[in-house]
Amino acid sequence: MIDSLLILVYIFLFPGFLFLITYALILEFLDRRIAARMQHRVGPPFYQPLADFVKMLGKEVIDPDGVDLPVFDAAPLIALAAVMTAYLYIPIFGSSPLAFQGDLVLVLYLFTLPTLALFLLGWLSRNIFSALGGIRAVTQMFIYEVPFFLALLAPALMAGTWSISEIMVWQQKNMWFVFLQPIGFVIALIGLQAKLERTPFDIPEAETEIVAGPWTELTGRRLAVMHLTSDVLLVAGSALIAAIFLGGPTISVPVTPIWLSWFVGFFLFLAKTLFVVLILSSIKVATGRIRIDQLNTIGWKYIATASLLQVAMVIVINYLWVSS
Amino acid sequence: MPEVIVPIGPHHPALKEPVNFKVIADGEKIIRLDLDLSYNHRGIEKAAEQRDFIRVLPLIERVCGICSHSHTTVFAKGIEELMQLEIPLRAQYIRTIIAELERIHSHLLWLGVAAHEIGFNTLFMWTWSDREAVQDTLEEMSGNRVHYGMNEVGGVRRDLTPEQVNAALVRLPVLEERVKKYVDMVNNQKTLLVRFKGIGKLSKEEALKYGAVGPTARASGVDYDVRRDDPYLVYADVPWNVVTDTNGDVYGRTRVRIGELMESIGIVRYCLENLPEGPIRVNAPKTAPKGEILSRYEAPRGELVHFIRTNGTDKVERVDIRTPTLANWTSVAMCLVNQNLADIPVIVAAIDPCLSCTSRITVINSDNKKEGLINFDVLRKRFRTRYQSPERP
Amino acid sequence: MSVISEMFHNLLSKPVTLLYPIEKVPVPGAFRGRITIDDDKCIGCSKCSLICPAHVITMVENEREVEFKDKKLKRKKKPRVKLFKCIRCGLCERHCPTTPAAIYLKSELSDSGTDPEAVVT
Repeated sequence: MIDSLLILVYIFLFPGFLFLITYALILEFLDRRIAARMQHRVGPPFYQPLADFVKMLGKEVIDPDGVDLPVFDAAPLIALAAVMTAYLYIPIFGSSPLAFQGDLVLVLYLFTLPTLALFLLGWLSRNIFSALGGIRAVTQMFIYEVPFFLALLAPALMAGTWSISEIMVWQQKNMWFVFLQPIGFVIALIGLQAKLERTPFDIPEAETEIVAGPWTELTGRRLAVMHLTSDVLLVAGSALIAAIFLGGPTISVPVTPIWLSWFVGFFLFLAKTLFVVLILSSIKVATGRIRIDQLNTIGWKYIATASLLQVAMVIVINYLWVSS
Repeated sequence: MPEVIVPIGPHHPALKEPVNFKVIADGEKIIRLDLDLSYNHRGIEKAAEQRDFIRVLPLIERVCGICSHSHTTVFAKGIEELMQLEIPLRAQYIRTIIAELERIHSHLLWLGVAAHEIGFNTLFMWTWSDREAVQDTLEEMSGNRVHYGMNEVGGVRRDLTPEQVNAALVRLPVLEERVKKYVDMVNNQKTLLVRFKGIGKLSKEEALKYGAVGPTARASGVDYDVRRDDPYLVYADVPWNVVTDTNGDVYGRTRVRIGELMESIGIVRYCLENLPEGPIRVNAPKTAPKGEILSRYEAPRGELVHFIRTNGTDKVERVDIRTPTLANWTSVAMCLVNQNLADIPVIVAAIDPCLSCTSRITVINSDNKKEGLINFDVLRKRFRTRYQSPERP
Repeated sequence: MSVISEMFHNLLSKPVTLLYPIEKVPVPGAFRGRITIDDDKCIGCSKCSLICPAHVITMVENEREVEFKDKKLKRKKKPRVKLFKCIRCGLCERHCPTTPAAIYLKSELSDSGTDPEAVVT
């Protein structure tokens, strides 16, 4: 009885959906503020993302002529639901209570749903710019998904388990994967930047070329939900990378009273996700957008081969370790 | 994917001013495009025929915001030559200083806009913040950040005090350091190189055939600059160089403009240090003798030409403005074919389009929805029958 | 490389933005601001109204004793300017015969507006 009540508190309040949405808005503010300061500007105040969200909810919803309205309404909600669910399986202040063998695969699958929702929205709005943007979004997904999955497969191979929480525990006993597999860390960051559609990979949303791509016909509450999906994906993606490469909410020294380990773990979680967001913001500020065919060349030539190399290295190390 | 028409414009985030490209694309490759330029036409040439020489200059100034000083200088220069008036040397130096400061701020603006078109907003913010130094200098000297109002027929209206000269000289070395940083960035930054190199290539023969002017032509190796080949103001006395490049693509045009930035800073410094003493204007006669003149000038975007015809009164009879952007549009239309859809903003931004200067009238027949050009006599006859017929109340 | 070093240098220094209503914008002395008429000096010669390129100055009846070049004279008219249509070119100040000019552009930072009936007399 208490168990199911605690699970409900975990899912809906802390560190579930309420904390998730708050943290998503705070991380968006930090991302925009850091990017602005790097560009020598002031940047928005701390309540800006919340104000944007509330304002967009109240704006008029414009239905384009002849589109399929139930799907148009449902697609942003499905995307938001997918990333919020994926977040629940990632360790926040200790192992996730919902963890099971294979939840890494589930989380990665759920992360692909927002891109598919964007493609669907782009295809359904009867608008040439949205269709082009949707096609670019799916092409980009094909290019970065393979290296991203391989880069996250390598730690799973080395730790010998398919559960994110157990990978985190393995790192607590041995070493963080960022030191053992630096190539994988870099590729995972690149993959995350491409999944979030930020510069240099904001090709589907290229403002100066195709107006706003698949986001063109979204207005009002649909836009608010889709924008919140982006923010939540930022939290969930950086939490995933922090858990798999940076040891998540643990340090090498085990902390004994369980409540103290949760306390310390929570602050470690905040620090590590902030670190990942700092790196992503720096990449966003320092580069311009590349073209989709140039991404094709770079992705298959360099990034995919690097990730294959990383997986091959892990297999060799595992074999040597087992045989010793 | 079959052929689709992608409408770039008249309302589009990539364009700062309205122009209509109807791009016919196959997937991401462009097959051909149709161009419609007439959205910013304001009838300035006709309005200039009704104002005398003192009151026409603020009107000519407002043809364009960024090259405002160019338009007034070339017009005043033309009228002064028709009146055979020699303006004092100090006035010529002041006109040159303002002209080169305008070129600096226009090229810094262009660098920011080109970076913005490829999504590199950081460089956009940095160049525009450096441009503020130039705008502050212009505001101190002339009273306004655009539309300086420095020229009048017979000289300049405002003098430069020693404090203004010193304040400007203090700002120049800082600006030079920043421009050197941008040179380094343009040559080494990976995304800039990847997006600019090889895009919109124009060979020297094509540039000459399609009539490209300004940095667009100089980037393809055409060694022509009106300031050196047909000198006016004090360009024959100041030491400076013409910047050309052989690349011919957007990267080449970037290099030419940054080179011109460095040269302009040098010219401004020389003129400020060697400003001669003397009067700043002469009294001009009220009317100009009958004649025609073609007055040329190197605006930041290329060669600007005013054709002026006077008939002995105190107003012009006809002024025809041929702006550099109008000459460069054909080269854009030609080098966009077979490029990627994603490169349209980059190639269009590379000629530094200023549509307020360019617009010419297009006639659309609302019965059969056809567009075309129309002869001036036919237009005049239609105007007369429509607005001057006896039945009209 | 220079981009990255500049980015982190900017992160640690003060932003370049001027927070406008709180900090004041430095305005140079020669700035062409709002059109102003000095009632003590105007002699009603109508040169400003004739020279204005935008036709925004009209002369209205107004009698007053003014001093001009050490002579006392009685003016009959004074200018009235449509405030928000003035293009601030300064031609009226340039051609005004009094010293200092009776119609001039104030060098303070002023607002903008769209009311077509607003006038300055």
